[in-house]
Amino acid sequence: MMQRIAVRYYRPLILLSLLVLFLLVVLHVAAGSVVISPFDVIAALFNRPVAPYERIIVWDLRLPRALIALVAGAMFGLAGAILQSIMRNPLAEPEMTGATSGAVLFAVLWLSEAGRQLDQPGLLLPFVALPGGLAGGCLVYLLGGAGKSATSRLVLTGVLISAVLRSATSIILLLRQEALGAVLLWLIGSLNGRVWPHWDVLWPWAIVALPSGLACAGLANVLQLGDASATGLGLRVGWTRLSLFFIATLLTAGAVAVVGGITFLGLIAPHIARRVVGADARRLFPFSMLMGAGILLAADTITQTIAQPVTIPVGAALVLLGAPYFLFLIWRRST
Amino acid sequence: MNRYPSNASDHKAALAAEALAVGYGERLVIPALSLQIELGTITALVGPNGSGKSTLLRALARLIAPRSGAVYLDGRAIASLPTREVARHLAVLPQGPETPEELTVGELVEQGRYPHAGPLRMLREQDHAAITEALAQSNLLELRHRRLDSLSGGERQRAWIALALAQATPVLLLDEPTTFLDVSHQLEVLTLIQQLNRSQGKTIILVLHDLNQAARFAGRMIVLHQGRIVADGSPRDVLTTDLLAQVFQVQAHIISHPADGLPVCLPYATI
Repeated sequence: MMQRIAVRYYRPLILLSLLVLFLLVVLHVAAGSVVISPFDVIAALFNRPVAPYERIIVWDLRLPRALIALVAGAMFGLAGAILQSIMRNPLAEPEMTGATSGAVLFAVLWLSEAGRQLDQPGLLLPFVALPGGLAGGCLVYLLGGAGKSATSRLVLTGVLISAVLRSATSIILLLRQEALGAVLLWLIGSLNGRVWPHWDVLWPWAIVALPSGLACAGLANVLQLGDASATGLGLRVGWTRLSLFFIATLLTAGAVAVVGGITFLGLIAPHIARRVVGADARRLFPFSMLMGAGILLAADTITQTIAQPVTIPVGAALVLLGAPYFLFLIWRRST
Repeated sequence: MNRYPSNASDHKAALAAEALAVGYGERLVIPALSLQIELGTITALVGPNGSGKSTLLRALARLIAPRSGAVYLDGRAIASLPTREVARHLAVLPQGPETPEELTVGELVEQGRYPHAGPLRMLREQDHAAITEALAQSNLLELRHRRLDSLSGGERQRAWIALALAQATPVLLLDEPTTFLDVSHQLEVLTLIQQLNRSQGKTIILVLHDLNQAARFAGRMIVLHQGRIVADGSPRDVLTTDLLAQVFQVQAHIISHPADGLPVCLPYATI
């Protein structure tokens, strides 16, 4: 029923979601150790006169963080929706591409060697993590997708490669415990201390990968009918699946590089979206994207507000919220 | 017994196979098979389990690549044609297609326009017309906005047939379209297929398990046994006690149906 209403009023729903996202950005910028009135935030954003310190806080300190949450959340949401569609498995998530564990491994390797001589390794971290994420994704892609790719083979390869890369990360962390402190927040996934240079790493990826993913919705629709039907409809199944997998890897690698190993977001956002707008990828993909952005923004606003002055990494908060939901999904599927 | 001599250049053939060899892995299911399907006919592929009837259908629909030999669609080798172009001439309903949860009937049937509309998929007027027509033919207009997982088995099967109809192809291949349906839904699906053949002249090839249904709805029956065609012709010619004994290993009586005189087999013992 809810789905039918959402389908009929899809455009108003999208407009409403965009409005909610804007309000979430405003609240996100308003929250923090110094609380700024949301009206002042809006005034500052639209270049109306406000107190100079508020203007600095809004533009220099908090806006990049809010924009990063918005875009990274959208990337996780879309990556998850793409993977769940092409794997035909509602439990698929971006970590399965190997991009998350690849990015984490590269970051840890770099921090334990070259990075620890730097004052602010956090600024350079994305540049190291990004190739790591791509390398992890390519590894899964080559081992799991070379030649004729079966869905299960890609899934299993992704899970295995991620496990191997994660254990390699653990070993390095145990050998080089001093690197742990610098990288811990990033491992869990956090938006703390994200500033404009981070945004400059993120947006070029988003501008390429988000539209590519959205443009593939029609292909994903055909693909989710199963390999035989999709072939009968004239789709080059193997090639299409690998292309979509590659786009999901780009999205994941880009987002992880900037905000760290956030899990569950790419699982939950598409799930909620599917409940609301159904399985048609032309609605599911954009709405998952908006859902991912909204959830990450809201979660980060909450972690910044409830635990002042201690900052909880948003990744941990998401897992705390996400794990029970995950259990609920498994429980519902098995009954 | 083969009354259809192999000749790939014959323009009457909607679909033809030439020296087709098909297998999975080590196992060769069909060693060498040739056949021609004439335009505007209904052909039933029958045979015991493992006889290669589904494999043949899948090869004809280019869902599996043959080891050797070729399939010709309107006289052109199917392997040399772009797959989307093939999909504009030939639709296939695979056996027991997996149903994506949460998809509605309308959304499923819409995918049938993929070969016509392309990957970016702005549906044009003729696409919407074809979708509505496919839904109307399969008697699904009222269920258009229902989710697939809320339908009965018969309705779901009709939805998949509607998907193939939305493809608007002259040739339609169906792999056991009546499996898992009760007897009235089986007849409903087969009657729909017959109507499509009669009103639109669609060329239809279907794999059927039930010999009597094949005899009732198909003009031509092809019997496969161990990957070879062992009988080919009208149901009256094909359905004999000898054939049932040799191929299906059953003793049976063949009688005429009281309603229309079509042959009906009544097996009573295994051999």
